[in-house]
Amino acid sequence: MTADAARKRAFWQILLLSAGLLVLVAISTTSVVLVNQARKASSLVVHTVEVENQIATLLLEIRRAESAARAFLLNSQQNFLREHEDAVAVILPGIDKLAAITSDNPVQVENMNRLRPAVMQRMAEFARAVGFVKQDDTPAAVAMLPQTGAGPAVQTIADATRAMRQEEERLFVARTRAADETQQLASVVTVAGSALVVLLAALSVFLVRRSSNARDAAEEQLRLNNLNLEATVQERTADLREANEEIQRFAYIVSHDLRSPLVNIMGFTSELDELRGDIFRRIASLANDQPVVPDTAGNLPEPALPAEDKQLSADFSEALGFIKSSIGKMDRLISAILNLTREGRREFRPVKIDSRELIETIASTVAHQAAETETTIHVEPLPEIVSDRLALEQIFGNLIDNALKYLKTGVPGDIRVKGRAKMGFIVFEVIDNGRGIDPKDHQRIFDLFRRAGTQDKPGQGIGLAHVRALVRRLGGTMSVSSELGNGSTFTVTLPAKWTGKSRNETS
Amino acid sequence: MSSPVTIIMIEDDEGHARLIERNIRRSGVNNEIKPFTNGTDALAYLFGTDSTGAAHKGEALLILLDLNLPDMTGIDILRRVKENEFLKYAPVVVLTTTDDAQEIKRCYELGCNVYITKPVNYESFANAIRQLGLFFSVIQVPQATP
Repeated sequence: MTADAARKRAFWQILLLSAGLLVLVAISTTSVVLVNQARKASSLVVHTVEVENQIATLLLEIRRAESAARAFLLNSQQNFLREHEDAVAVILPGIDKLAAITSDNPVQVENMNRLRPAVMQRMAEFARAVGFVKQDDTPAAVAMLPQTGAGPAVQTIADATRAMRQEEERLFVARTRAADETQQLASVVTVAGSALVVLLAALSVFLVRRSSNARDAAEEQLRLNNLNLEATVQERTADLREANEEIQRFAYIVSHDLRSPLVNIMGFTSELDELRGDIFRRIASLANDQPVVPDTAGNLPEPALPAEDKQLSADFSEALGFIKSSIGKMDRLISAILNLTREGRREFRPVKIDSRELIETIASTVAHQAAETETTIHVEPLPEIVSDRLALEQIFGNLIDNALKYLKTGVPGDIRVKGRAKMGFIVFEVIDNGRGIDPKDHQRIFDLFRRAGTQDKPGQGIGLAHVRALVRRLGGTMSVSSELGNGSTFTVTLPAKWTGKSRNETS
Repeated sequence: MSSPVTIIMIEDDEGHARLIERNIRRSGVNNEIKPFTNGTDALAYLFGTDSTGAAHKGEALLILLDLNLPDMTGIDILRRVKENEFLKYAPVVVLTTTDDAQEIKRCYELGCNVYITKPVNYESFANAIRQLGLFFSVIQVPQATP
């Protein structure tokens, strides 16, 4: 899985969550709005019913007043008059109330405008009839009865109330429908929104599952890779170690077997040298007739030869001399390789070492050479270290030897050894004011049989190669900083507590 | 010497063998020298046809042994010689190029009498062999009797 794909997936998830949130908010808002609308619609319906109720109550009271008035007209009993007056007393407030609750509808206001005078007129008729009875003019009152039963006022009241009722019926139907629609809409919106939210949630769950699956797969892959890597590293390390041991064995055997023919070459060269002596003595005796006799010490004198034979003898000696010096050099190289491989096979033992004491001991063994070259060796306080004693002696012995060996001519030598602990390591510095090393040779001086600078000192080019091999085996590193003519600083970094494993093995 | 000592020289390098012989002779030792250039022939001679070593009963032997042989290591020969009841009294001089401390210690442990490293420097080499010759001329070698 690439980082790009992961970013894309995260983007989609965020988008999805935002969409879900948005839908939720929209549904909530819409629901609130719709519920409010539905409540309004319901209250309107209730209002309509209330209006109808009021109309019915009004008509009932008018009827009650009418019938009580009639009864009073017929028998003039006071309780009917009281009832009539009770009814009349509630009619007027009833009309006012009706007018108040229908004032929002112009149609009903108009109907009210027709109804109110008619009711007033009807009330006035009642009052007149009742007035006649009170004045004991019953016949006149009775005469009014037919008139009042079907008068224009009654007709108008009936018409107006019917119209009002119809209007309210119409409103009721319309408002009920509106309320129903609003509620339906609300439920539709809720259901649809919920469905959408559920869908988004499902999609999110799916995406999360997929990404967690992908992550699990990636983790598994990573674990496998780690295992593989570890195995590969171990394999390589084992291979390298084996190769290293192989090289050690190889170097040992080769250097060893090279010695054997060298003994022969050297031996027979020496025999040839003997022969040369014999041959030229023979030639001399042939030419001189003088017998060659050994001197008092038993050695034969160099034969007296003619000039040309002398030249031959000299040439012979020169050739043998070159052969011998070359063999000598080869022998030293082979010995050096043998020593190196032997060193490589030696078991190192970590012990606690007072490094200052160790280096001061080395300094005292070279005190004689130091005095000859007017060199002073300063060993500053050094930390303790756990390492192999012999290896440390060889490392610092070589470095101090080198510093003494490659001094600047005419300048008294000054060699300093410093050390400090740093993050589990101890950094040693061997600083001199000698002839220095050209930066282009900094790598070369650590190579076997390679040297740098003026070749005026004996040496095989082994010391620093050996030192670096030792430092590596002790789990450390070393480096040089130097300029031609300005002295050198060799830095050796070693683990403060070496446990007996080299750098390769610990990693 | 009560009886003439035979020097058994086991040395694969004929040049070395020649140089050793010459220098031994120069030191005035005239005993018979039997050269062998490989371990198999040397063992065949030492242990005889019956592989018991009884063939040399009553003889005085001195063995000059090189450790690097083409078919076996001198250490094997040394061990077998020192384990044999007839041959174990014969002095063994290990003369080889190896100067490994471990190897030297091992040879003495197995019963080698002298261990000499062949130096490349011929002066030292000749000197060592001549001194060995002088040593041979004074050494008392017992007869190979159990």
